[in-house]
Amino acid sequence: MKQQTLSRVAERIYWMGRYVERAESTARLIAVHADLLLDLPTRRALDWRILLDITGAGPHFATLHDHATERNVVRYLTSDRRNPSSILSSIANALENMRTVRDTMPRVTFEYVNELHLFAHSGLHGSLSRSRRFEVLEGITRRVQQLEGFLSSNMTHDDRWQFLRLGNHLERADMTTRIIDVRSGVASGDEPFEPIQWRGVLRSLYALQSYQAAMQAPVEGPAVLEFLLQYEEQPRSYASCLNSIKFGLRRLPRNEAPLRACEATIRHVRQASVRDLAGERLHAFVDGCQTQLGALHDEIASTYFHYVPRVPAGARRKEAQGE
Amino acid sequence: MSIDWKAYNAQGVWDELVAPNGRARSGAGGLLRVLRRLSDDRLAARQAAADLAIRTMGITFSVYHDQTRGAIDREWPFDIVPRLVRKREWDVVSRGLAQRVRALNLFIDDVYHRQRALDDGVVPRDYILRSREFRPECVGVDTPHGVWSHVCGSDLVRDERGTLYVLEDNLRVPSGVSYMLENRAVMKRVFPELFRHYAIHPVDDYPRELRRCLASLSPRDKARPKIVVLTPGIYNSAYFEHSYLAQLMGAELVEGSDLVVDDDDCVHMRTIEGLVRVDVIYRRIDDLFLDPDAFNPDSLLGAPGLMRAWRAGKVALANAPGCGVADDKVIYTYVPDLIRYYLAEEPILPNVPTYRCVEKTSRDYVLEHLEALVVKPANESGGYGMLIGPHATRRERELFRRRIRAQPRNYIAQPFLTLSSAPTFVKGRLEPRHLDLRPFILSGESTYVTMGGLTRVALREGSMVVNSSQGGGSKDTWVVDN
Repeated sequence: MKQQTLSRVAERIYWMGRYVERAESTARLIAVHADLLLDLPTRRALDWRILLDITGAGPHFATLHDHATERNVVRYLTSDRRNPSSILSSIANALENMRTVRDTMPRVTFEYVNELHLFAHSGLHGSLSRSRRFEVLEGITRRVQQLEGFLSSNMTHDDRWQFLRLGNHLERADMTTRIIDVRSGVASGDEPFEPIQWRGVLRSLYALQSYQAAMQAPVEGPAVLEFLLQYEEQPRSYASCLNSIKFGLRRLPRNEAPLRACEATIRHVRQASVRDLAGERLHAFVDGCQTQLGALHDEIASTYFHYVPRVPAGARRKEAQGE
Repeated sequence: MSIDWKAYNAQGVWDELVAPNGRARSGAGGLLRVLRRLSDDRLAARQAAADLAIRTMGITFSVYHDQTRGAIDREWPFDIVPRLVRKREWDVVSRGLAQRVRALNLFIDDVYHRQRALDDGVVPRDYILRSREFRPECVGVDTPHGVWSHVCGSDLVRDERGTLYVLEDNLRVPSGVSYMLENRAVMKRVFPELFRHYAIHPVDDYPRELRRCLASLSPRDKARPKIVVLTPGIYNSAYFEHSYLAQLMGAELVEGSDLVVDDDDCVHMRTIEGLVRVDVIYRRIDDLFLDPDAFNPDSLLGAPGLMRAWRAGKVALANAPGCGVADDKVIYTYVPDLIRYYLAEEPILPNVPTYRCVEKTSRDYVLEHLEALVVKPANESGGYGMLIGPHATRRERELFRRRIRAQPRNYIAQPFLTLSSAPTFVKGRLEPRHLDLRPFILSGESTYVTMGGLTRVALREGSMVVNSSQGGGSKDTWVVDN
């Protein structure tokens, strides 16, 4: 008899997948942004607030700080536990989820996640100088990739693995659309610096090199959009993430409803003429993608995590009467 | 400076490794020779390596938790000097433990059925029927193989003359076995050369034996039963162990909310595929939290209907509910009698001499001699609520005098034992520290006793309190041939 996956366990593994992905993409985002700033003349519009917009944390940040400065934004996004999506919160959440399911994962996994947490905790502690920042953020992305590589080659590719990957890919798809949404808003109409911005977008997603190889074209808005939304061979593209989700769902039991939601999402992006999108229309399109991702998450959750078994109503009553 | 064993002074104490003349005890020579060659600094480096291994392996126990910081995990305190037990001695201990647990299981089964031992006056009926751990819900229930305490952890101590005693039998939900396994793993990582000198009996067959034991209780297919470990959750101090054992046994680690008891009295777990029937539950939560329908209605840890399923024989619970009736320090005093009564054998392992405060002559003696005795409540664990006469103040003794008079059934007293010691790395050097030993005994279709067990050591100088919740540490325990 094969080991069954408990609903609770599937849910926690899924969230662990989301949180480690979130930690990594946030680390990458900050590192690239800091690097990008150096390529732009001082006091350009490109300030640190944009990172708050991408992560959707603007309103919460505003309740804590009057002004957005490099220092307080970076701290908010890296080590502030009041921010539930800061790198440290994400890693702590991943660890917490991991702790509750550690018996269902390869034993060494816990060491990886635990070590990642210890590293992030000590590395992000206190004020992060610019010079040390890069090193620590790199350390985090490297450790997450090490973890994912380890799991990929050592974890049984069973149901649990599929949930981990579902979490990874949903989070990744989400981050890709957020980055496109916010950066494209800033990039358009900023003529001389637009290519720099779009390069930044690609680098935030580890996609600059593969863009150049795949598209054989200069870095410019329409081609980048096509690449990041539709190009299925690029692992962080929206289409590729959705394909991976579909692939994972196909291997899970009782997958009809989530598969339907996933396929609708794939059709939405395949059929769009993304090269023509810009400004408000691009924004509306990306909004649509995010709504669909939300719906997909809900389908997965209601099918697998919050499944309500049909216990005959008599069971409780009989006991209550004391048989 | 490396240690001078002549100066190592375990005064008036039985040391497990060093004889009073400073020479090695039989079997400990190889170990002491290696330790002698290492300077304190090099020992400190090994201890640091062990601490680091424990940190990265995530071997922890939870101390407490709060709202903002979540669970507070403390790394498992481990000492790099192993404790040795010779195989020849261990074979006797092992037989003695199996004998005890056999008698105790017969007793529990008897208590919930014919009560022969009570009829025959071996144990006063009153002690049982008024015990906090006696569960009327269990009367008449037939358990597989008649076993109730499937996993027992007995605490052994050695006195200053070298005699090993059983101090108590933990029959309910004993913990610590995962640390026994991890201590060995850490030891192999950080001190491999020590292993060269010895033929050390492995301990890592425990998870397989535990699985075999639990499988033998299955009401359905015994070859491939569905076994789960029921944990109160990550905030329990032994959560690490629950998770660890589940993984090594290939069992699901479930929380109460994962389980559903159906109309047909079967227990199911909620999975991504729907409901799946469960055969054996290795439960690591106390009786009263198991089933809100049967016991504490506010418990969120258990699953409603679990007792109903167990009584109907549709699921096995290990350990069985109600087995705590024999895990009581007053009942403990009767174990030698129970062995004679049920097995017609002489006890192989002695009890620590114990006074039952409930009996007038003993109580009078205890009240007269409080400053020389250790007084324990009959029903607590973890070293709480004790009076250590020689170390207590006059006021504390007075307090216990009143308590004993008010509720004599709740107290027993024992002579103050000076536990044996072993060299332990503290404050940068090796010093003697007191210790005990907790082996684990599995009972199902057959019986299994661990090779050694978990050695717990009191890290504070002179202290006899070995509990990890109160500053105790641990050692790898080697059963060696020689």
